[in-house]
Amino acid sequence: MFRLAAGTAAMLAILTTPQVVMGNSGSLNVVCSAEQPWCDLMATAFEKETGVDVAMVRKSTGETLAQVRAESENPKIDVWWGGTGDPHLIAAAEGLSQPSGVDTGELLGWARNMAEISEGSAIGIYAGALGIAYNREVLEEKGLTPPSCWADLADVSYAGEIQVANPNSSGTAYTELATFVQLFGEDKAYEMLHEIGKNVNQYTKSGSAPSKAAARGETGISIGFMHDMVTLASSGFPLEIVAPCEGTGYEVGAVSVIAGAKNPENAVKWVEFALDAGVQSRAVEVGQFQVPSNGNATVAPESPDLASIKLIDYDFATYGSGDTRARLLSRWDADVKDAEKN
Amino acid sequence: MSSQSGRVQMQGVQKRYGEVQAVKDLNLTIEAGELVTLLGPSGCGKTTTLRMLAGLEDVSAGKITIGGQDVTLQAATYRNVAMVFQSYALFPHMTVMENVAYGLTVSNLPKRTVQAKAEAGLETVGLAGYGSRYPSELSGGQQQRVAVARAVVLEPEVLLFDEPLSNLDAKLRRHVREEIRQIQQDLGITALYVTHDQEEAMAVSDKIVVMCDGEIAQMGSPLELYTRPSSAFIADFIGDANLLPCRVAGVEGDSVDVEIGAVRVRSRSNQALGKTATLAVHPHNLELVDLGNLNVIPGTVRMAAYLGDHMEYAVECEAGELFVADHRMTHQHQRGDRVGVRVEAENTSVLPS
Amino acid sequence: MKKTALWWLAAGMLSAACLPWFVNEDAQGPLSFLSGLGTEPGASLLIRVAVFSDAALWPIGLCLFALAAVCFSGLSGRRFAVALTSVSAVSLAVLVAYGLTADLPAGLSWGAFGLASSMLFLLTSGISSLRSANGDAFVVGLIGAVIVLVGLFVFFPIAHVMSEAFELPDGSYGVSRFFSLFFAKEVWHLSCLSGGGSCGPAVNSLFLAVCTGLATTMLGLAFALIATRSGFRAKRLLRMLTVLPIITPPFVIGLALILLFGRAGVVTDFAHEWFGFDKTRWVYGFTGVFVAQLLSFTPIAFLVLIGVVEGVSPSMEEASQTMRASRWQTFRHVSLPLMRPGLANAFLLGFIESLADFGNPLVLGGDFGVLSTEIYFAIVGAVSDSARAAVLGIVLLTMTLGAFLLQRWWLGSGSYATVTGKGDSGRHCHMSRGLKLTCYAVALPWAAFTAVVYSMIFFGSIVALWGYDNSFTLAHYTRAFGFDFSDGLSLNGAAWDSYFTTLKIAALAAPLTALVGLATAYLLVRRQFAGKQIFEFGTLLSFAIPGTVVGISYILAFNVPPIELTGTGAILIIAFMFRNMPVGVRGGVAAMSQLDKSLDEASVTLGANSFTTVRRVIAPLLGPAILAALVYSFVRAITSVSAVIFLVSARHNMATSFIVGRVENGEFGIAIAYSAVLIITMLVCIGLLQLIVGQRALYRADRKRKNQLSPQTATT
Repeated sequence: MFRLAAGTAAMLAILTTPQVVMGNSGSLNVVCSAEQPWCDLMATAFEKETGVDVAMVRKSTGETLAQVRAESENPKIDVWWGGTGDPHLIAAAEGLSQPSGVDTGELLGWARNMAEISEGSAIGIYAGALGIAYNREVLEEKGLTPPSCWADLADVSYAGEIQVANPNSSGTAYTELATFVQLFGEDKAYEMLHEIGKNVNQYTKSGSAPSKAAARGETGISIGFMHDMVTLASSGFPLEIVAPCEGTGYEVGAVSVIAGAKNPENAVKWVEFALDAGVQSRAVEVGQFQVPSNGNATVAPESPDLASIKLIDYDFATYGSGDTRARLLSRWDADVKDAEKN
Repeated sequence: MSSQSGRVQMQGVQKRYGEVQAVKDLNLTIEAGELVTLLGPSGCGKTTTLRMLAGLEDVSAGKITIGGQDVTLQAATYRNVAMVFQSYALFPHMTVMENVAYGLTVSNLPKRTVQAKAEAGLETVGLAGYGSRYPSELSGGQQQRVAVARAVVLEPEVLLFDEPLSNLDAKLRRHVREEIRQIQQDLGITALYVTHDQEEAMAVSDKIVVMCDGEIAQMGSPLELYTRPSSAFIADFIGDANLLPCRVAGVEGDSVDVEIGAVRVRSRSNQALGKTATLAVHPHNLELVDLGNLNVIPGTVRMAAYLGDHMEYAVECEAGELFVADHRMTHQHQRGDRVGVRVEAENTSVLPS
Repeated sequence: MKKTALWWLAAGMLSAACLPWFVNEDAQGPLSFLSGLGTEPGASLLIRVAVFSDAALWPIGLCLFALAAVCFSGLSGRRFAVALTSVSAVSLAVLVAYGLTADLPAGLSWGAFGLASSMLFLLTSGISSLRSANGDAFVVGLIGAVIVLVGLFVFFPIAHVMSEAFELPDGSYGVSRFFSLFFAKEVWHLSCLSGGGSCGPAVNSLFLAVCTGLATTMLGLAFALIATRSGFRAKRLLRMLTVLPIITPPFVIGLALILLFGRAGVVTDFAHEWFGFDKTRWVYGFTGVFVAQLLSFTPIAFLVLIGVVEGVSPSMEEASQTMRASRWQTFRHVSLPLMRPGLANAFLLGFIESLADFGNPLVLGGDFGVLSTEIYFAIVGAVSDSARAAVLGIVLLTMTLGAFLLQRWWLGSGSYATVTGKGDSGRHCHMSRGLKLTCYAVALPWAAFTAVVYSMIFFGSIVALWGYDNSFTLAHYTRAFGFDFSDGLSLNGAAWDSYFTTLKIAALAAPLTALVGLATAYLLVRRQFAGKQIFEFGTLLSFAIPGTVVGISYILAFNVPPIELTGTGAILIIAFMFRNMPVGVRGGVAAMSQLDKSLDEASVTLGANSFTTVRRVIAPLLGPAILAALVYSFVRAITSVSAVIFLVSARHNMATSFIVGRVENGEFGIAIAYSAVLIITMLVCIGLLQLIVGQRALYRADRKRKNQLSPQTATT
């Protein structure tokens, strides 16, 4: 028993000693909110190029934001890479991230736009358009025609077939809500959402859940980000992707340097690396079909072609602000969620 | 094995559990090498007293010394006492040898000494060769002897027994108690022994302390207690005595004349007596005779039982029911017989009523 | 006693002189602190004071001198005890004040830890010698240590997060918002009763927990009766089936249910093709969550009840039968009432587990919102509101506490003890025919269902795309656990890192958890001390709090000096220790209550001190309880997810966090392959543990104790 205790103590000592392996170029703590394979690819490639030792963990954007907030007095994370832009913007607005000062000259407009809104703290790295997916087999079996516009979703024939996330918990769903408001004007948007709501079988907590359910045939139609749908379709599910005819909104994935980062130089190096055209072009190697923010990066053929999609001029500044958000959400609760079956 | 046995003194020892006074102002001395028994009905405080001496219970007030050393505030671990438990408390996961050697091992004695002493201990209790067995593989009597061996190998100043025989059957009990007494005397260890069985107490003790309600009722040698009970309680508890209400007719020194109805008996008493008193008579000091005899208490046999070497009767008489043990068995009486009960005066005593 | 004091003083001196005072991030490797001692960040207390003139440390240095002065003074007896107690109490207070108020450059390290322990144990040995004969230094030290640990790692972090419940939006504190959130209509509304949609999450949680508690208890009882009182042959298999869900990582059962009963599930398809049933989404919502929880938590009820069912003294049943009671009457009027504490415990555990369950409602809940998911999304959702999360946490805690009190009230003060300590030679009577048939009818289909669910899981890990492309492949396994020998052994699978970290952390957490849990149990069962009730409640607290809340509270409490643990493996170990400790406590209490107290006393009168007694007598006899505590804490460390999400870091990533990430990404194949590997790993580890720990207890063929392999035999 003594030996056991001694062994435990020794192991504990080893574990609690900060194990920072000091390469010549130092280290970097990264939280990645993109998909795991992409995270792994980025970490390995960055280590290879810079010699910086990367410690990376994958957490969803909500979890990361909660952690960054809780750790704000003594941050343990240097860089937050990937994940939908809203939480990055919130972090910037709350002073949880700091400007990296990296040159954004090569970037596309929407990515620069994000950097401007956040005063350089959050920089766009990819964009993903919002879209509709349907399960080919389910719709065939039910004899339904596939939707092609947002307005089609209100059709009574889709009753119980549509799945979408709850904007109170999901950033994806909030993007959808904001897109509707920007496309149709606020009153009309809620009217439509209310009508569509009658067909909705479940408001999921997670933004990516509806498309996964559609892929498996658990629901007929889903709303979500098109690049997620491409990933599912390319892994073999009978999923068809629709770019809505009225036009659609999009998310911008971002990278932020956390305020008070312990390794600021390496953090900036990471941001530079993440914006590089060559690096962004490699996303497709791991089955990621977002549109890169660097204009010189190559776009995968499977990627939803943003040029062919009618993209709205998404107003991140307005719809990312806390006040607008609170107002839209409480109205959503009243007009859509609580009134769903009436 | 030898033992430097110590004299035990408990002075004004008390034990309170909240409001309840389990032991009230107890004064007790055990001379070195003596075996003293605490005897009493359950709940009289005898086990609590034993446990206070062992150090398993805190003392609420008073002082305990062992061999002249004040141990009142000393924890059980550091007192030079060893205890034999009612349940034996043998460690089920250790062999007999490991059990016996336990106290020696934890005192960090050299391995060889431990081995030798433990073997000697097992020999003392007649269990040499049983060392590698587990307690569960032994009979009750053998387990009891292991428990004794485990305690004595430590050569404690004081050896404590907490109702050590209560889990054994009647026959074995007799045998083991003789062994215990033998070992105690051979080693000359001071011992305190707790039991509620008066026969057991009388068989093993140098001195018996009868306790009642947390107090000492009487203390003395078995003979003293048996023949000179100081109270009706003792007379009843020690000798199953018949307690007959009587009238004091005359006192001369320590000899007293009492009358039970028309029957007059000359008995003894060393206590101040009033007009009425209680006569304590042991069952075998009563004899059933014909009604025609003089100086007998008339009565009717209500119960008669044949027990091989003696007869037992319950006789209904004016003073109450008398319990008679007849070892002579010259005549067997039947239920319903009218008889006379004769009192053998020399072994009776008169107690204040 | 003076010897003990000197020993601890020496330990304190050594820590002050030779161990780094602050966490030194430049130091790597276990022995590197030696070289760092000369530098400012890595210096010990002594060096900081002497060389780097750190003024803030002066008072602590002075305290150490004062302690030394007391220890080497000529004082003895009670005077020494008083002096030691007062000086060490002051020293400890000075150290705590330093930790809370001084401006610390980094978290405190081993030097401070060693010094604090030394002061604590000097204090406890002082206190112990103030008291009379039974003031045992070891016991008082143990009480002190457990109180400090529970205070530090349970109350301190929870106080952090709970204070948020009373924080107003402007940063001040008050109760107005708390009450409006606590009694908010959206939490408690009952519109599901009037047919208008769903109820509030609190109502849902409560309803679900009661249903799950009752149903798992019934099922568990049926299994326990079959296992102990029938001639059923495949008992071993039955036991195996009931252990599986305990070692299953979260989400897996939910996924399997979707694949079986979802709208596109195998069973649904089959029912549609052959019987023309409509394909519906019935599995999403209350029903699905309920079935999944039933699958997950029935084993716990079974493990609680099997000990109790066997514990009912056969002679009481025999007595009943000789009084012409039929088997059924005997069961109904004798056995069942005697099992009441077991039934109550099983219900309580099912109730608590259901309340705190997070994975199943997330996957299967549909629109059926429960508190645990609501709390999670109040923290990480698009609109995060930590005050709401804290208040909902308090709602959850209130329910748990309510159930706990209700259980105590129901059990009352009646005596259910049937284990007398003497051998009971009677035999349990078999069940009556009707009861037996009922048990079989309930339990066997359920066992078959569990078997189907697990074969589905295994099946899912070896096909290309579960449900769509059922071609056989090992690709998921090679992606997770691939390795090649081309250039020596290289582990290139994606899961290896988290796999090894998980095993390492779980292997460390398990013995520590068992140690703390059983030490606490020892104090609760064997020792009387003031404030024992509160002490007991405190040790139960962390069990009843949802993991997400625990995770956040640990970040809030341990991210900044004086105790900075975030990002280390230690924070995970500590979180597991104190989250799983209550189970060790319960198991230990149950097992220790069955050990005759005279064994301890015999050891003590034979000259062993309390520590030796614990080590040589109690611990060996608690073999099965230790095994249960070890196994349970090991398994829980591997399978728990909610607390872990916030505490994992790049260097210390856990398997469940990896699996959840893959599930989120829709990569079910690799997630399930990983789960399958974890399940097998745990089975192997449990087997090994059983070999190492179980051995000694075997030769005492004690039926009652052997069956206490159950982790939580009693929760009263």
